[in-house]
Amino acid sequence: MNLKEVVKRAETGPLMEANDFLMKRVAAGVIKLQKEYGIRWDGKTLVNLDDEMADRCWEAGKQLFLQTGVYSMNSRRVIEFSAEEVEHGLRFAPARVAMGQGKEATVVHHRRVEDPRLPFVFGGPFNADVHESTFVKLNEAFAQERLIDALLFPGYLKELDGLTIRPGSGLSSRAAVLYGQWAREAVRRAGRPGLAICGHAVMALNEIACTSEEWGLRQSDPRAMVLISELQADDVTMSRTMYYQGYGCPIYMAFTPLVGGYGGGPDGTAIVAAASFIAAIMMGGEIVHIGPQHIKYKQQTNNHSLFLGSLANQAVARNSHIIVTTSHTTAGRPGSAQYPYEFSALALAVVPSGSNLTGPRPAEPLGYNDVSPLMARLFAEVGHAAAKLTRAQAASIVEALYEKYKDKLTFQQAPQGRPFQELYDLDTLTPTGEHQALYEEVKEELARLGVPFS
Amino acid sequence: MATADEIYAGMRNSIQEYDEAAAAAAAREAVAAGLNPVEAVEKGFAGAIRELGQAFDRMEIFLPQLVMAADAMKAGVRVLEEAIQASGGKLEKKGVVVLGTVEGDIHDIGKTVVGAMLQANGYEVHDLGVDVPSTRFIQAAEELNANIIALSALLSTTMLHQRDVLGLLRNKGLQDKYFVIVGGAPVTQQWADEIGADAYGLHAVEAVKVLDQRQAEWAR
Repeated sequence: MNLKEVVKRAETGPLMEANDFLMKRVAAGVIKLQKEYGIRWDGKTLVNLDDEMADRCWEAGKQLFLQTGVYSMNSRRVIEFSAEEVEHGLRFAPARVAMGQGKEATVVHHRRVEDPRLPFVFGGPFNADVHESTFVKLNEAFAQERLIDALLFPGYLKELDGLTIRPGSGLSSRAAVLYGQWAREAVRRAGRPGLAICGHAVMALNEIACTSEEWGLRQSDPRAMVLISELQADDVTMSRTMYYQGYGCPIYMAFTPLVGGYGGGPDGTAIVAAASFIAAIMMGGEIVHIGPQHIKYKQQTNNHSLFLGSLANQAVARNSHIIVTTSHTTAGRPGSAQYPYEFSALALAVVPSGSNLTGPRPAEPLGYNDVSPLMARLFAEVGHAAAKLTRAQAASIVEALYEKYKDKLTFQQAPQGRPFQELYDLDTLTPTGEHQALYEEVKEELARLGVPFS
Repeated sequence: MATADEIYAGMRNSIQEYDEAAAAAAAREAVAAGLNPVEAVEKGFAGAIRELGQAFDRMEIFLPQLVMAADAMKAGVRVLEEAIQASGGKLEKKGVVVLGTVEGDIHDIGKTVVGAMLQANGYEVHDLGVDVPSTRFIQAAEELNANIIALSALLSTTMLHQRDVLGLLRNKGLQDKYFVIVGGAPVTQQWADEIGADAYGLHAVEAVKVLDQRQAEWAR
């Protein structure tokens, strides 16, 4: 559907309080549809192998979306869609999106369940807080990892010139300009000047200030929007989507269904996720990012999120040609073995389920530069290997990995790790000997567990 | 005529069934039967809602059920409160909380969970919503005679506004009047200490635990 119709409906749709939308449309709808379509988690399964349940989940999600629409948080109106409009939207959703320029021009595509094609890897700082003094070096270190297909979210600048940046301020616009300049400089230094940069500078309208064909983020760079849980959109997101669509950028639309929230458990939340995939497409998204959140855990590799990620991805992969990517956040931090155990478990669950890859990054709370480009390499390698596995083959490895970290899912329990500047030699931009050794040890262990690295 | 135990059972059942109308009706029955309203709150509603709070923590029920149970309790307590006021008394509240997501941040679920859990545990909660200007928290706390200001932020960029609220309280000389608790995905104990907040809640259950444990500090 044309975005101009969407923004029109945000001004003319039925008025409703947010609580009524969430309780009466979303929560009540999920409870009814979950029963009607028999979507149930058995309390044990980490990777869904039930195709029929995946199909029922998709149908339930579609029904839910037709009942809910999308809530416009600022106008307090519901943007509603007819069944015909949804079918039309799904039919014309892109199955391939091009991005980047020159030698780095590339394409992200829809993946099927157990699709042997390699997943696309969005890798980078992933909105970790990045200090201005290390912004370029950190992004250069990510960009030099050749398995990364697009540089992901070059990082939040929290301070500039010694001052804390207030979102929406003039200082934040200056930060957005520098964000574009420094991210472009980083990929140039890495010898990949046309590498796509998936941008999401701050959650504010002035983020568009990082756009420039000459020095910043370009038309060929995807720009990220985030729908608010559940099935809500704010004016800033709609405005940015309208601007970037008009400018010609690929639209990377994220949503974050909450396990334990309005969708209930992982099974009910999978229905919300299916509805949210459709919502993302109807709201102008072209690449859709699922980032499950959890009411108790801040990371995405707990048992609920593994199951939800696998089921929701299979639902959308089997029944549409939407391009999907799954975010990977962990409790363990870079520099610890738990970090790759966690992101590998989730990658092995979602890649054979039809997803592309986004991440990895530790979950909040984050310190400055709490990411590792070397671990992004391992993440991509695991993802590529996972494309050779069936879901059943991957499931046994996921179970073995989950056992290693299941009792350390919180920030307090998980190993704290170390930031980029302690894991890398900043002069040579190479990992320290210790960090390199950790990478090799964990990779060997993953191979022993059955991950088929090339 | 139903016995006191039967009436209390009906009140508990209304909470377990998330039924606002039934909770109000059971409360009216308690008043009509001449039961002590303060005792009725404790024996009829409080135990049931605490059990649901624990079930929520174990993920046996989820946010919608918790919100509905809290709403049912609110409806029932309102009836009992009227009876207490009519007899010249006053229902003792555990504490009055002003809650919201800070300026520039539109994420609402986290603070909604905290609000529902606090209500379930006997606090009077005033939810100011999302994107709440820093000054509004203080204004609301003053108007509502609150004990506690609870500030939620989901983004590392917006958590800075938690610091602003603390700064404004200090500027107005009100820092000792309110107990300020902060929370949200990027927030840590270290951040809470740095900005001078009184407490940090890792999640909703923890927030309740912290406030319960530190009642002597906020009930000043």
